[in-house]
Amino acid sequence: MSEPTATQDLVQGVPEPSAAAPASSGKPRSLWHDTWDILKHRKIFWISFVLLIVFLVMAAFPSLFTSKNPEYATLARSMEPPSSDAWFGFDLQGRDVFARTIYGARTSIIVGVLATVGTVLLGGVVGVVAAYRGRWLDSLLSRIGEIFLGVPYVLGAIIILGSVAPVQANPGKTLIMTVVIIVLAVLGWPVLARIARSAVIQAKHQDYVQAARALGAGPFRIIFKHLLPNSLAPILVYATITIGSYIGAEATLSLLGIGLRTPVISWGIAIADHTRYIRTGAHAMLFPAAFLSLCVLTFVMLGEAVRDALDPKLR
Amino acid sequence: MGRYAIRRLLQLIPVLLGTTFLINYMVWQLPGDPFAARCGQRPCPDAYINAMRAEFGLDQPILVQYWHFLKNLLTGDLGVNFNNVSVASQLGESWPITVRLGLMAVVIEAVIGITAGVLSGLKRGGFLDNVITISTLILLSLPVFVTGFLLQWLFGVQLDLIKPTVSPEAPFGELIVPAFVLASLNLAFTARLTRTSIIENRRSDYVRTAIAKGMTNRRVVGVHLLRNSLIPALTFIGTEVGSLMSGAIITEGIYNINGIGGLLWRAVNDHDFTIVVPIASLLVLVYLLANLLVDLLYGVLDPRIRYE
Repeated sequence: MSEPTATQDLVQGVPEPSAAAPASSGKPRSLWHDTWDILKHRKIFWISFVLLIVFLVMAAFPSLFTSKNPEYATLARSMEPPSSDAWFGFDLQGRDVFARTIYGARTSIIVGVLATVGTVLLGGVVGVVAAYRGRWLDSLLSRIGEIFLGVPYVLGAIIILGSVAPVQANPGKTLIMTVVIIVLAVLGWPVLARIARSAVIQAKHQDYVQAARALGAGPFRIIFKHLLPNSLAPILVYATITIGSYIGAEATLSLLGIGLRTPVISWGIAIADHTRYIRTGAHAMLFPAAFLSLCVLTFVMLGEAVRDALDPKLR
Repeated sequence: MGRYAIRRLLQLIPVLLGTTFLINYMVWQLPGDPFAARCGQRPCPDAYINAMRAEFGLDQPILVQYWHFLKNLLTGDLGVNFNNVSVASQLGESWPITVRLGLMAVVIEAVIGITAGVLSGLKRGGFLDNVITISTLILLSLPVFVTGFLLQWLFGVQLDLIKPTVSPEAPFGELIVPAFVLASLNLAFTARLTRTSIIENRRSDYVRTAIAKGMTNRRVVGVHLLRNSLIPALTFIGTEVGSLMSGAIITEGIYNINGIGGLLWRAVNDHDFTIVVPIASLLVLVYLLANLLVDLLYGVLDPRIRYE
């Protein structure tokens, strides 16, 4: 992942508040207003926006897309190729691949969104505290972050998931999803902490923050009223892209057999179940893989469209 | 520069100690029995668990265990796995293969990524630029294992151009497709980084001066522009050696390559985590050294950068 450099790009992309307010129509224009003006003319934004809505509806109301039961298995139809009756064919257990793919959206999106929320909270708090307090606390938190960055994330996940949720144990649906979400957030927070930290350090010495401090504002007021709103843009963009990469990461862990497992319906599990049948039943694997990639693409595309629109250098 | 390198090497020590301690702690001390999955569906008999705990030193306090781990690591003794096969000999066989795969991936990443980035950056907004931007976006969205299975299915099963799995010796030719899969994600990032920095530097004063002096386009781009624009791309390639190792676990698992990643993939499937600790420690060391190397390379590429 591009973390170190993407971080720089994102942080440089924060426009100065004054630059975002050219008084053209008399009314002051906010950063978000400007961004929206650019975004609504971007084709790529609308494509990803429509796809996002489709995936969200799919996650919320899967029965709108298919009337079949994703749990219903007819072993006699095992590995039947796609037909007009079942668009994506049947999987190894004789379950309808289309229904399972539609129902898989919910798991992936829940895991992606919640893990990102966890990452933003954890990384945001660490980054803001480190930048605001500085000194030894800053270097201590940065070193701890480096330790987590030093472990490649698949390896880190193997270490944690392998010891917390042994592969053969059968944890419940909610428990295993919670564990996977926590693991993703625990391994992902240092990058967000860096973004938040550098955004806050940049803003810390601005005159308006000094002015607020001179007027007697406490640390909480300065952080929440003055520092956070100005760091929001890069964090939001990174979070959107992160949802996409966490959806991919969840599938990777399920593929390794240490992430989500069978009572849960997810794209990663569907792919993992059929890796050995690539010669006879590639359809049971390729369709979930296509939906997975399209979903990741949606979030990445959306995040990038917003980032480009926020970047004053491209104006 | 020598003093800087030494200081950085010394700074590595606490990070390395912290990371290896964390890895040891998580694998052996977290709730959940490391031997739980050793006896099939039944719970393991107490006698077996006690014997295994004694053999792997789990009955001792964590700091004592960690001290033994460090001592053994320094003397090159990495212990045995649950089946009594020496970890060091397994690593010795698989290490060269992963290094070969990793180097091929880095070369692919650098050559294709930088070329694509330069081409699209020079003709910003052109047809080629759009094609490259869209293909990097797609590469970024494909998880490594999807690219892996897709190419395996397409080239290995449908078109029959390659063998779907790599033979144990892992010859150069069979590794090309896996190396491309491994490189795919970083390749896209490299291309984008190069493009951005080419676009930024093209507007800079030194490029304008070089053009005004009447230098040929080739010299302006090849010497002045490229040298300065390569820094972010090289930083990225260097610092991402660690994530390349993450990808290697997946890629080597898919193509059944007998490397470090394949070793980990099989260890996870066999529920044997003994090998995870030494491999993870080694990979972290590789990651930290790669970062250091990149920092030192800055000075070579950009003489303005001085090391205090």
